[in-house]
Amino acid sequence: MDIKQTAERYVAECLKKGADAAEVYVESGRRLSVRVRNGEIETVQEASSHGAGFRVFVKGAMAFASSNDLSDKTCREAIDRAVAFARITTADPSNVLPGDTGIGDAGPLYDPEIARVSMDRKVGLALKAEELALKDARITLSGGAGYGEGEGEIALANSHGLLKSYRASNCSFSVSVVAAAGEERSSGGESCGRRFFTDLKPVEEVAGRAARKAWEMLGARSVKTQKAAVVFSPDVAYALLGGILGAVNGERVLQKASFLAGRIGEKIGSGLLTLVDDGLRPKGPASAPFDGEGVPQQTRTIVEAGVLRGYMYNTIVAARAGVKSTGNASRGGFTSLPGIGPHNFFMAAGTSKADDIVRATKRGLLVREVTGYGINPVSGHFSGGAAGFWIENGKIAHPVRGLTIAATAAAMLEGIDMVGDDLDLDRGIAAPTFRVAEMQIGGE
Amino acid sequence: MSYLRSFTAGIPRRRFLELGLKGGAVLVAAPSMLSCVKAGRRAEPLQVERATLDRVLRKALERGGDFADVYAENRVSRRILMEESKFKSAVFGASRGAGVRVIAGDKTGFAYTDEISEAALLRAAETASAIARSGAAVEPVPVREEKRPSFITVKVPLGEVADEKRLEIMKRADEAALSYDPRIRMASIDYYDEVRGRVVATSEGLYLSDELPLIFFIVQTLGAGDTQSHMGRERLSRHSGIEVFDEVTPEDVARACARESIAMLEAQDAPAGRMDVVMQNGWGGVLVHEAVGHPLEADNIARKTGVFVGKMGQKVATPVFTMVDDGTLPNFRGTTDFDDEGTPMRRNVLIEEGVLVKYMTDVLSAKQLGMERTGNGRRESFRYLPIPRMTNTFIEKGQDDPADILASTPSGIYVQSLSGGSVNPTTGVFNFTCREAYLIENGKKTAPVRGATLIGSCLDVISNIDAVGRDLDFGPGICGKGQEAEVTAGQPTVRIRGINVGGARARRG
Repeated sequence: MDIKQTAERYVAECLKKGADAAEVYVESGRRLSVRVRNGEIETVQEASSHGAGFRVFVKGAMAFASSNDLSDKTCREAIDRAVAFARITTADPSNVLPGDTGIGDAGPLYDPEIARVSMDRKVGLALKAEELALKDARITLSGGAGYGEGEGEIALANSHGLLKSYRASNCSFSVSVVAAAGEERSSGGESCGRRFFTDLKPVEEVAGRAARKAWEMLGARSVKTQKAAVVFSPDVAYALLGGILGAVNGERVLQKASFLAGRIGEKIGSGLLTLVDDGLRPKGPASAPFDGEGVPQQTRTIVEAGVLRGYMYNTIVAARAGVKSTGNASRGGFTSLPGIGPHNFFMAAGTSKADDIVRATKRGLLVREVTGYGINPVSGHFSGGAAGFWIENGKIAHPVRGLTIAATAAAMLEGIDMVGDDLDLDRGIAAPTFRVAEMQIGGE
Repeated sequence: MSYLRSFTAGIPRRRFLELGLKGGAVLVAAPSMLSCVKAGRRAEPLQVERATLDRVLRKALERGGDFADVYAENRVSRRILMEESKFKSAVFGASRGAGVRVIAGDKTGFAYTDEISEAALLRAAETASAIARSGAAVEPVPVREEKRPSFITVKVPLGEVADEKRLEIMKRADEAALSYDPRIRMASIDYYDEVRGRVVATSEGLYLSDELPLIFFIVQTLGAGDTQSHMGRERLSRHSGIEVFDEVTPEDVARACARESIAMLEAQDAPAGRMDVVMQNGWGGVLVHEAVGHPLEADNIARKTGVFVGKMGQKVATPVFTMVDDGTLPNFRGTTDFDDEGTPMRRNVLIEEGVLVKYMTDVLSAKQLGMERTGNGRRESFRYLPIPRMTNTFIEKGQDDPADILASTPSGIYVQSLSGGSVNPTTGVFNFTCREAYLIENGKKTAPVRGATLIGSCLDVISNIDAVGRDLDFGPGICGKGQEAEVTAGQPTVRIRGINVGGARARRG
């Protein structure tokens, strides 16, 4: 099926049925997921599917309908429904679609080899990961291992003549294990996802990290409630970056529901803090030639040496704000309207070695796991659960669990005083190891 | 569903999710996956020929296996978003499809199709059966239609409600929120409803079908004070017709939300450290949903990874603590007539006066553990395998007067509502973020505090609950466990001794 043609044809159908402007988003793909446990296959799931989302504008009012049945009859019914729905929403001059401004160069995103790799090899990868992770004597139980892959094509057409598509793929494997000592249990897991099969990390590395994460936390205890330095490891980048993403969302900013509203050009953090949204990084998990409404993805610096440089916009919110779309229209698939979201979003690497950051810390917490919602994008307040290691005189003293950490986002961002060189850009949201000079730690 | 970005993580952590503003801190796709009907008309009921199902089930077990089922679904949904007093968007969805599953020993094969035709179902059965190579198979029993009692009554079916009625409900909420206080700067009203038709057919000869309506109404309000802002949130969700808004009015929901936004404008930093916590009745039950409920789901037990492995019949909590999962509470968000594997819903007491008495099972884990099916086999849609999930989960009401519980607590934190949280089912370590919380000083609720995180371990928390009130209440939520489920969580007012609270300031005194 040529889904590009399908998209184009239904744009015409929307206009015929009374829309003044329309966009059709079509997605088609397949997935495979395998879970293994204790050396045996536990589940195999396989499916291909597709669907279309129809966004229509009638006299400036917007509505949307989707269907996972691409038969002509059902699609026409969905379009009828969208057009009818657009009669009840509020007209807004900012309800506009983008024109065609080309595509960004995201490089190759699709690996045709994934489909050609044998099922045995894929299952074998999960089995091997489990076997290796279980080898360590401290590991007592498998939490299961898995292999997953997906590939698909997205086509987008609108009534301004925009018509584009791309294919992309991903594959991943993961393993989780449990270490035990007496009554105490500790779980550890690791995964690796890539767009190309041959780029997957060696299974030994992933299995080794999963096992280590489980056993190294055995014997964890609490510490006294106190203020101390907090070192964030790359595994917990999202704890800081997630809330910032909410706060640089252009719609939140317009609604003044963001602690970063009205602060462009101002210093919001330490000079060591640079945040980049890269929509085009080669083989990046969130790279694509265009965003969820066809605007080219780009690479932008959001925070430069502590100074806030920009927010993120899709076309409609950009029109309301009087700026241009930044190519950040996000799409959760064919069933939803474009929202606003990041691409490969990361904190730029610094120059310190991660070990040196620990060595330079007299007393503090090295965080390996943060739970909770991270920074609240409205109030700019951070509070979460934390586990990791306690640092005394520049050395790891013992594992810690059941702690809380809290601060205002402003204090956290300004308090970043060391940034590591260990940035792993193969995660969608990434940061190197970094240290915040002081936070409130809650414990005994 | 996105094929292009989903790198799976595979780290088992259960999470409670709240629907947030678009692009907010909590990114959750709207419960979408919708299917197509003519404007204004009701969905055609989902029907699959029984003879077809027999052939598909036979195909599924052709290469071996102990059990097979077909789950077909038709979902029609509407979501309307009002923000800044404008109807910003309306989203209509139509989705139909079916999943075929084969269980052979401990192995499960699964495939789904967007098309409910015999040819497509047979293809899915073929794919799902690849897992079974033993050759030994059970003979499928031809399906026979069964009827189950319904716990859901509808006065005004959603399919007969004009869109104007939905808009009117939203407008009423918007006006009530904005007129509550001049410091309410914006309201966001998110209206969602759906009708989900289901057909379940199994190799044990079961054939069931039904149609479930669902309403999910979320109000958020932004309060702006001199120095800080707070986004409040209030939700209403039932399996019900539109008449639910006569019982709980849109104004009730909006005012409750606005009240929270204003109350929290005066919030100070929460203290950090170990202290006593009094949790108000209602949605706070999400704490035991996470901390206790997830580890009681039998897939963890069968895999020997949960904190309750080997603890059946043992005392795990204080005698005042009884916990129940009940999928039959009339019209509740977690209620259905039967689970997604066809098992009847019922009331399951999980922990009775401190003693562990039951795990929540699905077909597979019940078989693995040699236990009964409890009606907890649920799935987000035809695209997912059923797994053990909670329905309406709560701490049973106790003897204490809620006012006395507070008055007898000299100092600590009073948690009026929680946002949500998560648990690691292996270690039992959970965390929760408070939405609205207050200091307790001399047995009284005093200043509001922001940024309070509650953290602890499952077994510690239930052995430290020492007071349980008479005022059981509930709140609706979305539970995430690799796939989403509609649930409610409930509790009376309870006190938990010595829980770790994570605020941004040191404790005074």
